[in-house]
Amino acid sequence: MKIKKIGSGWGIVRLVLLATVFALGAAACSSGDPINAPRVESDSAPAQESDSAPAQESAAPVLGIDAVVPAAGLGPDGVIGQGPNGESAASLADLALTDDEIQQAKDGGFEVGIVMHVQNLDWSKLQINGITATLAEFGIEVVAVTDAGFLVEEQIADIEDMIQIAPDAVISIPVDDTATAPAYKQIAEAGIKLVFMDNVPRGLEYPTGYQSMISADSQGNGAIAAEVLAEYVPDGGKIGIIEFGIDFFVTNERVIGVENWLGANRSDINVLKADFLHPDDALATAENFLTKNPDLDGLFVVWDAPAMDAVAAARTLGMEIPITTIDLGLEVALNMAQGGLIKGLGAQRPYDQGVAEAYAVANSLLGKETPAWVGVLSLPVTPDNVMEAYREVFKQDPPQELRDACAANAGCTD
Amino acid sequence: MTEMKTDTTETTAVSLKLAELFRRLRPDPQDLVLYSAFIILIIAFSLLSPVFFSATNFQNIGRQTAMVSIMAVGMTFVIVSGQIDLSVGSIVALSSMVAAMAMRDVGGGWVTGALVALSVGALTGFVNGALTNWLKIPSFLVTLGTLGVARGIALLLTDTRPVIVNEPRYQRLFGDGHFFGIPAPIFWTIIIVVVGIMWLQRTVFGRKVYATGGNAEAARFSGIAVNKVRIIALTLSGLTAGMAGMIFSARAHAARPVIGEGMELDVIAAVILGGTSLFGGKGTIVGAFIGSLIIGVLNNGLNLTGVPSAAQLALKGVLIIGAVAFGRR
Repeated sequence: MKIKKIGSGWGIVRLVLLATVFALGAAACSSGDPINAPRVESDSAPAQESDSAPAQESAAPVLGIDAVVPAAGLGPDGVIGQGPNGESAASLADLALTDDEIQQAKDGGFEVGIVMHVQNLDWSKLQINGITATLAEFGIEVVAVTDAGFLVEEQIADIEDMIQIAPDAVISIPVDDTATAPAYKQIAEAGIKLVFMDNVPRGLEYPTGYQSMISADSQGNGAIAAEVLAEYVPDGGKIGIIEFGIDFFVTNERVIGVENWLGANRSDINVLKADFLHPDDALATAENFLTKNPDLDGLFVVWDAPAMDAVAAARTLGMEIPITTIDLGLEVALNMAQGGLIKGLGAQRPYDQGVAEAYAVANSLLGKETPAWVGVLSLPVTPDNVMEAYREVFKQDPPQELRDACAANAGCTD
Repeated sequence: MTEMKTDTTETTAVSLKLAELFRRLRPDPQDLVLYSAFIILIIAFSLLSPVFFSATNFQNIGRQTAMVSIMAVGMTFVIVSGQIDLSVGSIVALSSMVAAMAMRDVGGGWVTGALVALSVGALTGFVNGALTNWLKIPSFLVTLGTLGVARGIALLLTDTRPVIVNEPRYQRLFGDGHFFGIPAPIFWTIIIVVVGIMWLQRTVFGRKVYATGGNAEAARFSGIAVNKVRIIALTLSGLTAGMAGMIFSARAHAARPVIGEGMELDVIAAVILGGTSLFGGKGTIVGAFIGSLIIGVLNNGLNLTGVPSAAQLALKGVLIIGAVAFGRR
C-alpha cells in the first residue's frame, strides 16, 4: 500500500483553518440569531432592573431576586465560633502591646519563619503581608517563608528545614491536621515558639506545644451567609447547601454556622445538601443538584469559586435563585456588583488575621501569656457595600472592571 | 436470459454490499461491552431517579462531559500514535487565561478569544511534540514537564487571580448559547468528534497515526514520517485542550488558573475505556466519546440518586476497571 505524504505543517494549518471556518460559520449564524440568548441574563450583563420592585410578596416579607440586602446590621456582633478545643474567642485587643513592650521586642532582635501550606493564593499573600508589615513595626524580621504546595511530605520537610534555620518563632498553617503533627511537635522541642493559622494539628497541647491559633470566625461567616439568604426564602421554603465532601475544619464550621443560624432564626426553612470532592466537580454537582431540586428557594455554597460554578449552573438551567457564600474573590465581587445571583457573603479578613498572628508571636516572644484562640471578626458583604469591602479585605482599590460594573448598577454603591 | 443474468449480478452486488455493511457494523466484543454498559447504566439510572431520563438532564450530561469529550478526541490521536499527553489539564488553564486576558486587554471580542485560546493550546501541544521528537524524550516525561510549566505560567500571569470574561458573544458561542436548539458546548463536542472521526478513520493521515502507534519501525520503513505524525498528534491534543478551555471560560464567564487540575486523568480514562490501547496502534474516537459519556452518566446518575461523592469515586473506579476487563475478553 502506498501512502501519500502529507506535510505536518500543512496538517496543522488545515486544522487551524478548519477551526476558524467553524468559528466564522458560527458567527455568521449568530447574526441570523439561531443562537438563543440564555434565558437568564441578570448575572452576565449589568443588571438594568436591579432597582425594580420585589417580584413576589408573600405573608413574610420575602425579597425579590433583584433586591439588595443592606450590609449594615448584618452578622453577629462578635466572634461566635469556638476554637478547635472548644475555647471561646479572644480578640486583637487582648494582644495589645505597650510602647515599652514594643521597644523590648525591637531590642530582642527576634527572627520569625513562616511555614505556609501554599503561597499562591490571595489569602496566603494577604496573610504574609499582614504578618510581615506588623512584625516590621516591632523590629522583628521574617527570615524565611516556605510553600508546601499543599503536600504533606513537602511541609514536613519545610518544618525540618525551618528548625535548622532556627528562628525564634514560627507561624504556620498545617496542610493536614494529622500527618504533620509529629513534625510540629519538634518545633516546640527545639525551643521555638509556634503560632498557628486556622488549624491546630492533633495532639499538640496549648500552651506547651503551641502558643496560639488565629483563625477567621467561620461560624460567623456562615451565619452571615444564612442571614442574607433567608431574606429571599419564603416561609416554609427550601434551600440547598453545597458543601465540601472532605472533612475539613474550616468548611465544616461554615456549614455549622449556616445551620445554627437557620435553626435559631428560621427553623421553617428545609435544608437539602450536596457535596463535591474536587473544585472542578462543583459545576456538575450544582447542575445535577438543581436539576434534581428545581424548587429550591436559595443556595449556600461553601466557598466563592464553587459558588460561581453554581451561578453558571443556574444560568444554564434558566433558574433565578439567590446564592450566598463565604470569601470575597474577584468573581463573586463582580457578580454582586453586576446585580447577579450572588446576594451576599461573609468575608474573611486575611490581612487582619496576619496582623493578629504577628501580635500573638510578639506576645509569646516577650514571654507574655497568649490566648489559645483568637477569632477574627467576619465581614458581611452584599452588593450594598461590596466596593468598600473589597478595599477592606484586599487593602487596595478594586480593579477597573469591578468599578465599571458597580457604576452601571444602581443596586451597587461605591 | 441476459436479463436474468443482469439481475443475478445486481443481486450479488447488493448482497455483497450488504455483507460489507454488516461486517462494518458488527462491532468487536470490546465495543459491544462498551455500548451495553452505556445502555445498562442509562436504564438503571432511569429506574433509580425520576429526573434522570429527561431532555434537560441529557443536556446536563452533554455539557458536563463536553470538555473531557473534546479533549478525548485529541488524546485518541496521541494514544493511538503510541504517546501520552499529561499536560492537557494545564493547557486548559493556560489557554483560557491567555485568551481571557487578550479579550480584556487587546479587544477584538470572541474572535480574539477563540484564536488566542486555540493558538496557545496548539502551540503548547506543538512544543510537547517537538521536544518529544527532537530531544528524544518520551512524551510521558515531556508532558509531565509541560503540565507544570503551563500551570505555573497560568498561575503567574495574574498572580493566581481569575480573569473575568465580559464578552457576551463569546459566552453565548461557546458556553451559554444554543445552535439549532443544541446547547453550544454539546454542539462543539459533536463537531469536533465528527471531524476527529473523519480525520483519524477516513484519511491517509489517520492510517499513518495507526501505523506509527502500531509499529513505529515498520511505519518508518514504509515511508511514514513518524516524527511528524507524533508532533501533529500532540499538537491536536493541545488544540482540543484549548477548545475545552474556551468552553469552560465561556460557561463560567471567567478563566481560572486552577481549572483542569487532574483532568488529564479523566481524559485518558475516557479514551482507554473507549477501547483505545494504551500501547498505541488501536482505538477509535467514537469509543473515546462513549467512554467520556459513560463517565459523565455515572457522575450525573450517582449525583441524582444521592450517592455521597466519596462513594461515587470508588464506584466509578470499580466500574471503569470492570468495563475494561470485560471488554478485553
